Amino acid sequence: MPLVSTNRLHKFYGKNHVLRGIKLDVEEGEVVTIVGRSGSGKSTLLRTLNGLESIDDGVIEVDGARLDVDHADGDTLRALRQKIGMVFQQFNLFPHLSVGQNVMLAPQVVKKMTNAEREGIARDMLSRVGLAEKFDAFPDQLSGGQQQRVAIARALAMSPKVLLCDEITSALDPELVNEVLNVVRRLAAEGMTLIMVTHEMRFAREVSDKLVFMHEGRIHETGHPQEMFARPATPEFANFIGSLN
Amino acid sequence: MISFSLWDIVRNLAIGGALTLLLSLVAFVLGGAAGLLVLFARIGKWRVPRAMAQMHIELFQGTPLLLQLFTLFFGLSLFGLDMPAWLAAALGLTLFTSAFLAEIWRGCVEAVPKGQWEASACLAMSYGEQMRHVILPQAMRLAVAPTVGFAVQVVKGTAVTSIIGFAELTKTGSMIANATFQPFLVYSLVALAYFVLCYPLSHYAQSLERKLHAAR
Repeated sequence: MPLVSTNRLHKFYGKNHVLRGIKLDVEEGEVVTIVGRSGSGKSTLLRTLNGLESIDDGVIEVDGARLDVDHADGDTLRALRQKIGMVFQQFNLFPHLSVGQNVMLAPQVVKKMTNAEREGIARDMLSRVGLAEKFDAFPDQLSGGQQQRVAIARALAMSPKVLLCDEITSALDPELVNEVLNVVRRLAAEGMTLIMVTHEMRFAREVSDKLVFMHEGRIHETGHPQEMFARPATPEFANFIGSLN
Repeated sequence: MISFSLWDIVRNLAIGGALTLLLSLVAFVLGGAAGLLVLFARIGKWRVPRAMAQMHIELFQGTPLLLQLFTLFFGLSLFGLDMPAWLAAALGLTLFTSAFLAEIWRGCVEAVPKGQWEASACLAMSYGEQMRHVILPQAMRLAVAPTVGFAVQVVKGTAVTSIIGFAELTKTGSMIANATFQPFLVYSLVALAYFVLCYPLSHYAQSLERKLHAAR
């Protein structure tokens, strides 16, 4: 039984049919990378998985939590979101809270953890991303790469079953990209289930178990990344990887 | 003929000034509390309270304060509701203030980036938790300077209540001017008194704006 599964997922923006029947299964411990041109629906697909974008048809199931068109109320969404962590392109740290408070906030208000519990978890997660010494710093005192690592720690502190990464290195200066990718690489090696949208093709090839190529709102081609890059099955994907170089 | 010393004038103006200050405080505190309720109705997800809040804001922003006071003071007495001037003044200014503060604060809540809503939603927080821990603390920081700035408008707005006979600073001034035949002196003193009340506030608003924009 897959950890994450979607079926018949449809999404419209007005008349624009951006997701046209997505079926995607992700096993526990799998690293899945979604690629495609801008406008292909890849970010939208990622954002529907935890209900940031509503869906117009279909089902999403994550570790027993289920969301469909008729069941998308606040409680359903929160149950789903307890299973899913998300990291954004723009970090979205809470600027009025220190790094430690950023990581501890959700364990405090959502999981009702005690002071000692949540501080322990926050310190653990921050050392996991190599930022234990920044516990009392504020987000604006950190580099972009450090902020993104804090955002990862913040997501991990809720012990999600799966982590969504939405172009998490796209807003970073080139010299800061690797420190973030290294954290993701380590998470993948530790068996974390990851679903990412990225433009870092080399990285995607290296860490992904499965590559998903989106084209015009559909999963156009999917498979093992090495094989897909070596032998693209569709002209659209061949065209896409051709345009990268 | 009775003669008035400068001391007589100043002493009486001081009483009017105290009432202006009191009325401003009442309007600002009660208006702020009511404004908070209007704000939550206005930005909340329930349709009916949202529409009512919007009507409240548009009504009190879209009509002159003077007419709001006339309606309360003269209008309600037609229905047998006899309202003393001080009550009509306090009530009118409170309603006026609540509409403006709600709208100022709504702007501040909406100025908090969408990513803050998304990030907190992804951490499985409820609407109330998001508001309390993530959105409002940031909106409040943005709101401080314009709120203090609006307090200046409230102080000056109290002058309008002189028309319905509330003996605040302006009304006291006009009575003294009529009695002393020294309108230039008296009204200059009245203007000076308003300046003494308002200048520190607007100065404070400016320094807050500088400070809070530089800080995180």
